[in-house]
Amino acid sequence: MRTPTSTSEPNRLLDEPGESGSLERALLRAGSSYRTSPNTRAKVLAGLGLAAGSTTLLTGTAAAASSAAKLTWTKLLLGVSVVGAVAAVPVGYYALRHPTAPVSRPAASLPMVSDPAPASAAQDTKQDTQAVVPAAASRAAALLTEELGALDHARLSLASGDARRALEELEAYDRRYPQGRLQIEAEVLRIDALAKVGRKDVARQRAEAFLRHHPNSVLATRVRAHLAD
Amino acid sequence: MPHLAVRSGAQAEPPAVIIGGPPPLAGAVATYGNAAPAARDRDARLRSMVDRYIDFVARVLRNAGTPDAEIDDEVQRTFITAARRLDDVRPGAEKGFLFKIALNLAAHARRTLARRREVLAEEAPERNETFPTPEQLTDQKRMRQLLDGVLDRMDESLRVVFVLYEFEEMNMSEIADVLEIPRGTVASRLRRAREEFRERVSALEGIEQRARSLHLKDERKP
Repeated sequence: MRTPTSTSEPNRLLDEPGESGSLERALLRAGSSYRTSPNTRAKVLAGLGLAAGSTTLLTGTAAAASSAAKLTWTKLLLGVSVVGAVAAVPVGYYALRHPTAPVSRPAASLPMVSDPAPASAAQDTKQDTQAVVPAAASRAAALLTEELGALDHARLSLASGDARRALEELEAYDRRYPQGRLQIEAEVLRIDALAKVGRKDVARQRAEAFLRHHPNSVLATRVRAHLAD
Repeated sequence: MPHLAVRSGAQAEPPAVIIGGPPPLAGAVATYGNAAPAARDRDARLRSMVDRYIDFVARVLRNAGTPDAEIDDEVQRTFITAARRLDDVRPGAEKGFLFKIALNLAAHARRTLARRREVLAEEAPERNETFPTPEQLTDQKRMRQLLDGVLDRMDESLRVVFVLYEFEEMNMSEIADVLEIPRGTVASRLRRAREEFRERVSALEGIEQRARSLHLKDERKP
């Protein structure tokens, strides 16, 4: 929390314990506690064409995941004990009983950073939940990092002019991660690689199919550029 | 995009007072003012921006009304847009730069969503995401939805100030900088935004209490 720079800076509403009702506090917390998942980060990095490569990402992501999860839980538990008003009890209770991620794509099967996951594991002790959450989150983070690393090999091969090798690596990616989180990114690389090894017709077909299936994808612009070439 | 993010002429400016004045990001110093920045520096700078601001960007998008299901794509879009113009971003101005991109994208996503709702209203709804059953709806999610409702009714100019002050904990000068409006305007908008927020929350509280008492009565029935 930053200290106000002058006296005319009013306190944040959340910092006014005496005045705000419990619903108000719950709403304010909902607005400020929003966190992204490792999945989002992986996709952003992949979309930027940034290397995953090093182990920094693996440990970094896992560490971020576990600390974010801890933070969320600390806040939640704090919310229950501090507010204590009638409405806040069900909030805390339901959150413990039916933990869900505040930030999640409904389709995503990976546990989110702040998703305390299996409801059965969310017993009413703090230690239990904290032990379970980071484990699930690190598994998800580790898997994503692996995927990102695999795609990165293909990207580097492509960048160094070895499109044939990139294609082999992309096939390996498909075999290894048939339900991969980064399939869309892999497909864009594949279109590029196919064009570079001279299979322009196949590249064009796949590019057209990609645009049919993902017309609004962030990566559609890149695919359209391929088609225009 | 305004001057905040763009170098202005040959003036030797002091580091801008940008949102908390974070230490320079990796690669930022090497990149700035260099006609042909090394790709490695650029990558390092981008990666630092992702690591440092990804949650901020997601919150800005979410609190500006972007639906949950579209946050991933919009976060990705924000950073890709930022990457295209990275060389124009002054070191230290990254957060404000990302904020503006995210806000524009959120406005665009809202318009798209509004159009889609119009179309869906004429057809059978395809999915039930926005209206989950009470069993599916945890209180945490419900709070998020209630907040969406409150923010959605707030005037855009008030909401932005409210979100940056209450959720992002920026001070008024920082907000004035990033929105390029006088500090006094920030103060008055914040005041109005808070009044509106509290009015709507107390209205909601009334509804919640009625719902709860009805629920309790139901439970007491044999």
